[in-house]
Amino acid sequence: MCGGPASGSVGGVIEIRGLTKRYGRTVAVDDLSFRARPGAVTGFLGPNGAGKTTTMRAVLGLATPTSGEALVNGQPYRRLRQPMYEVGALLDAGAVDGTRSALMHLRWLARTNRIGRARVEAVLAQVGLTAVAGKRVGGFSLGMKQRLGIAAALLGDPAVMIFDEPVNGLDPDGIRWIRELLRSLAAQGRTVLLSSHLMSEMALTADRLIIIGQGRLIADTSVGELAEQFNRGVLVRSPRPTELTAVLTGAGATVVAEPGGALAVTGLGPAQIGDLAAAHGIAVHEATPRSASLEEAYLALTASSVTYAAGGGGGPR
Amino acid sequence: MTGALAAEWLKVRSVRSTYVAVAVAAATVLLGVLFVLYAGSVWDARPPDRQPEFRAARPEQGFLPVVQLSLAVLGVLAITSEYATGMLRTSLTAVPRWRTVLAAKAVVVAGVALVVASAVLVGTFAAGRLAAGDRTMGFNTAPVADELPLLLASIASVVVMALLGLGFGAVCRSAAAAVTAVVGVRFLVPVVATLLPPPWGARLAGVQLQDLPATIAGVETTGGGEPAVGLVLLVGYAAVPLGVAAVLGPRTEA
Repeated sequence: MCGGPASGSVGGVIEIRGLTKRYGRTVAVDDLSFRARPGAVTGFLGPNGAGKTTTMRAVLGLATPTSGEALVNGQPYRRLRQPMYEVGALLDAGAVDGTRSALMHLRWLARTNRIGRARVEAVLAQVGLTAVAGKRVGGFSLGMKQRLGIAAALLGDPAVMIFDEPVNGLDPDGIRWIRELLRSLAAQGRTVLLSSHLMSEMALTADRLIIIGQGRLIADTSVGELAEQFNRGVLVRSPRPTELTAVLTGAGATVVAEPGGALAVTGLGPAQIGDLAAAHGIAVHEATPRSASLEEAYLALTASSVTYAAGGGGGPR
Repeated sequence: MTGALAAEWLKVRSVRSTYVAVAVAAATVLLGVLFVLYAGSVWDARPPDRQPEFRAARPEQGFLPVVQLSLAVLGVLAITSEYATGMLRTSLTAVPRWRTVLAAKAVVVAGVALVVASAVLVGTFAAGRLAAGDRTMGFNTAPVADELPLLLASIASVVVMALLGLGFGAVCRSAAAAVTAVVGVRFLVPVVATLLPPPWGARLAGVQLQDLPATIAGVETTGGGEPAVGLVLLVGYAAVPLGVAAVLGPRTEA
């Protein structure tokens, strides 16, 4: 217990198994299962109200599952004796007493888990708040409060870190700082679970993606796989579309004529299309890869979940 | 538990509201001295043959409600400030056991109330006697030892008020509601009791928080209850709201 066990920053796992959480007749989380593994940023993505925060609260023992379980390192959170050495969490950066100084906020938090004062100074320095440590938190900007919340999460040097919408309301500098911090935490071998409703942010930060809608799992995938899944081929314009179609089809591509005379080509890359066209003396005016943006992919996925729920008749609405 | 205790102690020490509450409680010493000086001027103005019958209230008893209320507010804020900011979730993430958190708060609040009430009430008692000098003003005629039971029971009542505040705060989750409830129990129930038809006013008198220190100390009481019963009632005023809060849980969901 002196200083606590060294976490080693490895081996942390978050495991959600069949998690269901109801509030009265509202189903916040519906039979959700996924794992977040070490060494990666797991993006937890869904529209507002999809159940992300409820799931994170269940992981942290702040919400009791109606059924199923949320485990950290194989145990329910409430069974952890010194949880800050195992899990660091930032749920709501504004949930601090504004009349207390940043230093005192971190010091009381450190004391709960017997974390020394030197560690408090270290995390303050790590997030760049040393100069304002003695100032009341009430006067902090949102960005500074986010940094304070991250310092609090880092106190126990935990192997598992959970962040609920950490970039909400931040300026571009703040967003970039958090993105780089999360990447570096994962690179150190930690398990990072990051929720957001912004796909654009996830695309830059996350390795794995857990996408939920209305409390249900929609996709458990990676950024690359998702982009590939929504790859819409190459848009090609040519003054001789009919001949080009024949050439490309002959080479194994699928070609669909689009309104306006363009061709949607799948199965071949833009370079191959250009080479084939050149070999046959066909001019090409445009060859644009059209992988749908991850944002579009995400919207398509979550929209389908809504459609499914409405059509199924058994949804929570 | 020791970690939770140390953390709660630091929480109480690191907010300004604690110092405001303690300062208001400490003002009792000054108020007590001013009261005794004023009463002393009345005593001085009397003809010598009428001075022995002069009776002034004990200053530490007269201003006891100030100490009780300021520390009850400290107890209320110890928990409602965390509900108001949402910080309770952070507390429960660091110590994921509600009853441990609540117990740690209760120990710290009771400790602060005990120290502050002892210093303020003994201080007011001593300052009042010093200010009275050799005047015979009723409150200062008995030997100090005879006054100790009432003084100790009054200190205990302040600790109970602080815990009552913490319990109501945890049950209500709102400072405004909890302070209203505390004021209702401590100050409005006695007023209502005087308005009740005959047997009920007297029956309620014996169980009221304001009368319990005198009942426990066995001095002239309105209800005339047994000291032991008074002590049980006093403990109940702290234990019942805290017990309800412990059973209800933190209720931070949704």
